[in-house]
Amino acid sequence: MTLSVSGLNVERKGRVILAPTSLSIAPRARIGLVGASGSGKSTLGHALIDALRAQGVVVAHVPQSPDEALDPLRTMAFHWREAEKALCMGHNPARRKALFSALGIAYGNLTKRPWGWSRGMQQRFVIAMALIGAPALIVLDEPTSALDPVVAADTMDLLDNFLTGQDTAMVLVTHDLGLASRRVERLWVMSEGYLVEEATTEDILTRPTTEAAAKLAAHKSWLTVPC
Amino acid sequence: MLEIKGVSVKRGALVALKDISLSIELGKTVAVVGESGAGKSTLIAAILGLIALSGGKITWAGGPVRGIRPALVMQEPRAAFNPDLSLRQSVSEPLKAQKLPVDTKRLAKLCAGLELAPDLLDRKPGQVSIGQAQRVGILRALITTPPLILFDEPLSALDAVTQKRTAQLIADLQRQKGFAALIVTHDLGYACAFSDEIAVLRAGSVEETSTPTAFVNAPETDYGRKLRDAAVSLGALERAS
Repeated sequence: MTLSVSGLNVERKGRVILAPTSLSIAPRARIGLVGASGSGKSTLGHALIDALRAQGVVVAHVPQSPDEALDPLRTMAFHWREAEKALCMGHNPARRKALFSALGIAYGNLTKRPWGWSRGMQQRFVIAMALIGAPALIVLDEPTSALDPVVAADTMDLLDNFLTGQDTAMVLVTHDLGLASRRVERLWVMSEGYLVEEATTEDILTRPTTEAAAKLAAHKSWLTVPC
Repeated sequence: MLEIKGVSVKRGALVALKDISLSIELGKTVAVVGESGAGKSTLIAAILGLIALSGGKITWAGGPVRGIRPALVMQEPRAAFNPDLSLRQSVSEPLKAQKLPVDTKRLAKLCAGLELAPDLLDRKPGQVSIGQAQRVGILRALITTPPLILFDEPLSALDAVTQKRTAQLIADLQRQKGFAALIVTHDLGYACAFSDEIAVLRAGSVEETSTPTAFVNAPETDYGRKLRDAAVSLGALERAS
């Protein structure tokens, strides 16, 4: 089922943070929500999550850093159980095992606290936790920026592979069009609180129609290397 | 010229750096890349003389590095400044420490080179954007014209467009001032685009060193290849179509 929201807008102290925006997301869609720092992309991400949850849609959110998702005083097992409870789901070790294996979570010492796991594994755990309820949509906010590149690329590959067999749609929030261009087929481009352009990734890379999209496209990677 | 010869650093039972040798000439840039925990930031602390070496030597033109007062540009630009001081006060601190006067003309010129409006320095760190704060961090590093500047992940807090603009500003300033630069980064794209030599650090050792062109085309080690492929997969490096 296609997800739709309309009239999302956010104002703070009379200042427009997000101008009225309507969106729709098809099942299995892979969308990049891109823009410069302060363009309103995370605000739109949060507004979208709230609006869909208000409609009763299961939406998962993965924040930028696992520090934002995991309590350092609680064990990994506790976090997992809390996520299951929040979704009104019973404890199911087989489901956990399947998600761990899909996301390459090599070890499962769940009695440890987050700091007993590497950062890359913590982030994979957070993504696995987000997928427990087979969400209609997973919103990932700069999911790789706290990871080093080898771990980041592996994590994105594993998530890509996992989502290929699911109906779950993905919105990847990022300032990095280079990353988005490798991972999504459509882009929403934000600038100063407005959704200024919406098109396929290829169209935006080759024929951007707004200044914001052109700037992102021009700065998408550092170097072009020979094949 | 900075010379790092056979440097080792132990932290308790952990060997943080193992027999590292690198050198950087004036006007040149060496980028140190590698995974989290490889020892990149430890290397910076060792060069600055903030931690004791358990072996080897770090010198500038044969003498101690501290003698030339190298500058450091930090990763989190806003956290690098005292939040209660104006940026102007923070920027003048290296001058004060060396009992040098503030040359307002030179300051204005440096601000212009870094695309900073002069009155922006009257604000506090919390009142400017992260990109602006990082450019003020670079301004503070340049204010005493040191021959060596160390950059610890200087772009990681910035967005992709600002990253590229700031990298270009650093390179332009380096061409004018001729300082030697050591850049620690996990962004291989940045390292390849803006350095003369790449050193891959892993578990405290240098796995390989090469020119950026040689590295992108044919990394010598498995880990080097993994790093290059990850940069392509994350879109930092793009393959020609």
